[in-house]
Amino acid sequence: MPEIVQIGPYRPQLLEPERFELVVENNKIIDANIELGYVHRGIEKLFTTKTYMQNLALAERICGICSGVHTLCYAQTAEGVIDVTVPDRARYLRCIYMEIERLHSHYLWFGVVTHSLHENNAFLKIMGEREHVQDLLEYLTGNRINYLINTIGGVRRDITSPKTERIQKVMDNMKALSNYLLALLDENGSLTKKTEGVGILPKDKALDLGAVGPTLRGSGIESDVRKDDPYAAYGELDFEVITEEDGDVRAKSLVRARETLESIKIIEQALDNLPSGEIATKPGEPLEKEEVGRAEAPRGELVYYIKSNGTNIPERVKVRTPSFANDFTLIEMLRGDLLQNARIIIESIDPCFACTDRLTVLDTKAGKKRRMILK
Amino acid sequence: MSGKTSIYRFMSAGCNGCDVQILECLVPRYKLADLGVEVVFTPEEANVLAITGGINVKGREELKKAYEKLKPPKLVVAVGNCAITKEIFDKGYPMVGPPDQIIPVNFYISGCPPRPQAIVTAVAKALGATLEEKEEYWATPEGFRGKHEFDSEKCMGCGACAQVCSSDAIDVLEDNGKRFIKVDYGHCSFCAFCQDECPTEAIKLTKEYHMLTDNRNTANVTNEVDLFKCASCGTYFIPARQVEWALQRIENEVSEYKDFHRNLRTAMELCHTCRRKISNIRNAKKLLSQLSPKVRAV
Ligand code: SF4
Ligand code: SF4
Repeated sequence: MPEIVQIGPYRPQLLEPERFELVVENNKIIDANIELGYVHRGIEKLFTTKTYMQNLALAERICGICSGVHTLCYAQTAEGVIDVTVPDRARYLRCIYMEIERLHSHYLWFGVVTHSLHENNAFLKIMGEREHVQDLLEYLTGNRINYLINTIGGVRRDITSPKTERIQKVMDNMKALSNYLLALLDENGSLTKKTEGVGILPKDKALDLGAVGPTLRGSGIESDVRKDDPYAAYGELDFEVITEEDGDVRAKSLVRARETLESIKIIEQALDNLPSGEIATKPGEPLEKEEVGRAEAPRGELVYYIKSNGTNIPERVKVRTPSFANDFTLIEMLRGDLLQNARIIIESIDPCFACTDRLTVLDTKAGKKRRMILK
Repeated sequence: MSGKTSIYRFMSAGCNGCDVQILECLVPRYKLADLGVEVVFTPEEANVLAITGGINVKGREELKKAYEKLKPPKLVVAVGNCAITKEIFDKGYPMVGPPDQIIPVNFYISGCPPRPQAIVTAVAKALGATLEEKEEYWATPEGFRGKHEFDSEKCMGCGACAQVCSSDAIDVLEDNGKRFIKVDYGHCSFCAFCQDECPTEAIKLTKEYHMLTDNRNTANVTNEVDLFKCASCGTYFIPARQVEWALQRIENEVSEYKDFHRNLRTAMELCHTCRRKISNIRNAKKLLSQLSPKVRAV
């Protein structure tokens, strides 16, 4: 007899609340349902009450983990409705800041996953090393998270010596961390055992369901906004779009681990080829116009839409975050898998963190609820 | 507090940034474990509740439930500005917080997000423990955007900071011939737009990041300036320094207006209401004649 298992909405480890309802029979997941809204803050409405500049701070608080790419995508889209040209130096600096962000985000994901899988040594090692990236972000921008480095017309802080040397030093350390992650995922790696064959998202389903980012690339599809629709200076930098064929949790992990090495490559190149000049242009007046912009966030394609009525307050701002696109692929991945894998599957899409510690088991026949802790 | 401290984290309607900082506190570098503190997975196991986010409609009941289950002494800590004032999400339609409107809150750790260092230090303080503060990582780097500081010599009270503020964190209040520029840093996103826009470079975000309080009404920094009286009706209406600053700027930047300087000053010394009374030449003459004996001769 099938029973309904509830996951969330509050899981304490990390993360935002979200509720999943799984229909389970003999420990196997037959169907799944997702309920969102525990973090809803009415942001799109708030966008229409603030000026274009003030909205930068709001955009970055949609997600504290990929806060930088939100300001970038917002700024790029706003630059389409406001009269302004971004200087070359700023375009390169944007790539550097955004790739440092991708590093911290991907490393954090490994931190969360190793924490969930009770790989305590790996967790401490990853999070400990990741601190170098956080310190670097704080040193470059003035804050560890919500660094508000992008602005309409460029960036707010320059990178010159001794910052350049510090970045280089941290990158050297991070190469070692990325290789450590790859080792966790090689044939005998401790993560491989726990993630291989789990939560498979086949290629066709990934496409049908509109997956983005590492979730999509882990199913063998080469798609990355940085390559497909280059922005900032990505069109001038050499890097590879990482894909893996298997579609399971291990494949998605491998994509992220290998991507960190690509990010380091991008940062080093951008530093070497940094054009001279200004880091920002003063924005002109907003025009009566609409614009759509996109960028590759650590979790995948991020889309902004802005409608301007010519005043300094946008008339409409619409945001499509990558996690929203990926959330629905979870249903496919969960179906047919084992209940004990639910948590790692949910985390595999990096849904700005899943929420899976607390389970309420609903006995559909007796109508009783039973609570379980997933540890 | 004696015995083990077990923290349960509760999040509703924040950006996740504070949650990441709490997770980072588990890294040995921050010595959270040295304080005998652990992070637990259910409210039943916990005696301390750490709240992040400003609480929306969906989170309200869940928060109450979590609080009820907490073991004594039921300490509640609001981590980050969302949990203190809802910060930038303050006017969002689904928001029902801040948490202290729903359950009692004992401590507030300000920041957006607070550094892990600030969280650990705050926990230590709440427990009455002391931490070694020698290591270099307790220090903030140059350019850090922390608590605000006014240069009261420079601030002229114009309120430009309040206008550009991304989070409605700055209030301009007037009372009895004084104007107060009040930065509620518990409502602040630390965007530093105020610092960028201040015409006299009077407001700065400093390297100070320890912002723990048990009374959220104390989470502010205020500067005070004298107001100027309207030359005609005598009501206070503009900061005296702002008049001087504007005149100085006109003199420096558009020197061709130099000759009108005295007239400009006279005009600026009138409040909006009095200026609006000027509907025709006769009115204007009458008003000006009250102010300056020279005008009468015209
Ligand atoms: S206080 Fe700042 S960092 Fe913390 S949840 Fe709110 S917006 Fe995010
Ligand atoms: S830093 Fe200044 S402008 Fe930004 S939110 Fe705080 S008070 Fe407002």
